[in-house]
Amino acid sequence: MTTLLEVKNVSKHFGNDTKALSNIDFSVKEGEFVSIIGPSGAGKSTLLRCINRMIDASSGDIIFDNDHVYELNKRELKKVRRKIGMIFQHYNLVNRLSVIENTLHGRLGYKSTLAGILGLHSEDEKLQAANILQILGLEDQLYKRSDELSGGQKQRVGIARALIQNPKLLLCDEPIASLDPNSSKVIMDHLRNICTSMGITVVVNLHQVDVALKYSDRIIGVNSGKIVFNGTSQNITSSDIHQIYGSDEGKLIFDLGGSHVG
Amino acid sequence: MQAEGPIKPFPSHTGQDLDKRLLDLLSKKPFSKSTIVIRLSVLILAILTMYAFVSFDYKDVKLLDALLLTMDNLKIMFFEPHLKHFTFTQALYQVSITLGLAFLTTIFGAIIALMLGLLAAGNISTKPLSIVIKGTVALIRAVPTVLWVLIFAVAAGLGSVAAVIGMTFHSISYLVKAYSESFEEIDKGAIEALQASGANWWQIVFQVVIPSSITYIISWTFMRFEINFAVAVAMGAAAGAGGIGFDMFMASGFYFDLSEIGAITYFILIIAICLEIFATHIKRKLKVLS
Repeated sequence: MTTLLEVKNVSKHFGNDTKALSNIDFSVKEGEFVSIIGPSGAGKSTLLRCINRMIDASSGDIIFDNDHVYELNKRELKKVRRKIGMIFQHYNLVNRLSVIENTLHGRLGYKSTLAGILGLHSEDEKLQAANILQILGLEDQLYKRSDELSGGQKQRVGIARALIQNPKLLLCDEPIASLDPNSSKVIMDHLRNICTSMGITVVVNLHQVDVALKYSDRIIGVNSGKIVFNGTSQNITSSDIHQIYGSDEGKLIFDLGGSHVG
Repeated sequence: MQAEGPIKPFPSHTGQDLDKRLLDLLSKKPFSKSTIVIRLSVLILAILTMYAFVSFDYKDVKLLDALLLTMDNLKIMFFEPHLKHFTFTQALYQVSITLGLAFLTTIFGAIIALMLGLLAAGNISTKPLSIVIKGTVALIRAVPTVLWVLIFAVAAGLGSVAAVIGMTFHSISYLVKAYSESFEEIDKGAIEALQASGANWWQIVFQVVIPSSITYIISWTFMRFEINFAVAVAMGAAAGAGGIGFDMFMASGFYFDLSEIGAITYFILIIAICLEIFATHIKRKLKVLS
């Protein structure tokens, strides 16, 4: 498998002394499902946003699909961003618009300015949107306003909006942090299926260690802006996890044994 | 998911030690400047108010007589209204002119302010541009509408042209502030999501910013329309812009006809109440939608 994403020696500091990321190095192969875990404030979200330059890294290089992301101009960057779908903890939908309108927002990067302003979409695009929404089980909510949906449904709209971009990579910033266990499972199952059957690479920030272990091919552990673990989910040990979370007394709420079985 | 290990109890301290530490912490109440400033301001205002009442120059006006005379005037105005110098239909026509003046200036103001408001909103514009526009607009807003009309009257001559330009000018400054603050209120997550998908500025503005803040835009624009109606009445009198305001000016300044002023006041009141009812109705509808 070819390498889709390469993060080379990336550092980010806010102001002069707040260091969010230091010398981050990793690569992601095509079709891989990678989870980034670590304590709150470790720099997971910053790392994710550095990949599509929603936040500009202070130094380092990122190669995505043979493009050096940090050498692109504005127009080229937008073209690269079309190939990277993004999913957020708070869904980030436009509440007053319908499910299908929100989904079609994912196509804006492919449109002329005027078509985007007027919200003109071709029949093909609408059909594709409806198709994706059907896969995600939202075909009955097409014209519902998105603020009438439950959290899990909103997140599925978020996924639909990312998928309609025809992305090569999905960046998910804590997609299940605001959801109940049931909706969380639905969302994670969808993400896993997207990776397995559509061949889209998925990088997920997670707080739930057991979920990360169960769903991902590889785990990257981040603590205080540094990578402290990078390996398959089979090889991770209890002491690795304690190292990632830096817990002083060795007591955490998680269950390693169960997740390996499932 | 399982929790491992025993549940960690609260840290236990010896009673004496704890009390001492807490008392120490309690005694460090931060010195609050704002409480002192507020109390001082209230005190100064109270003293000034009392001093003013004592030192007024009342001349020979007796409070009771003055009160009775005012009541008498009000009685003539509101209980004996009549139209002498123009007919009911003419009055209606004049009111429509005033309404037209308010409508025109609000529409002009809203269209220009929408564009400037987008450039002034901190979350979708650049910082220097936002500061420049907000600063300019604050300066314009600080000068009352009437003064702007009179300033433009130097170039355009006293009349409706000066009134339209001056009122539009002030409407823009008012609406830019209202709009840009509404834009800043919206959820920045949706903007971030569309930026991440490669959408450009115009697309984000029309697909996220305006749909999210449309209720505020409508409600602020209507608010300004009500203000502009009141200002348009005053402009008829002060700047010769025509409309019901000018008739009122004639009735009071030339004919000293209190009854006619009363009739005109009723006209304006009825229109204002109608606008208010209409506005409440629209706002309620928007609330249901939002």
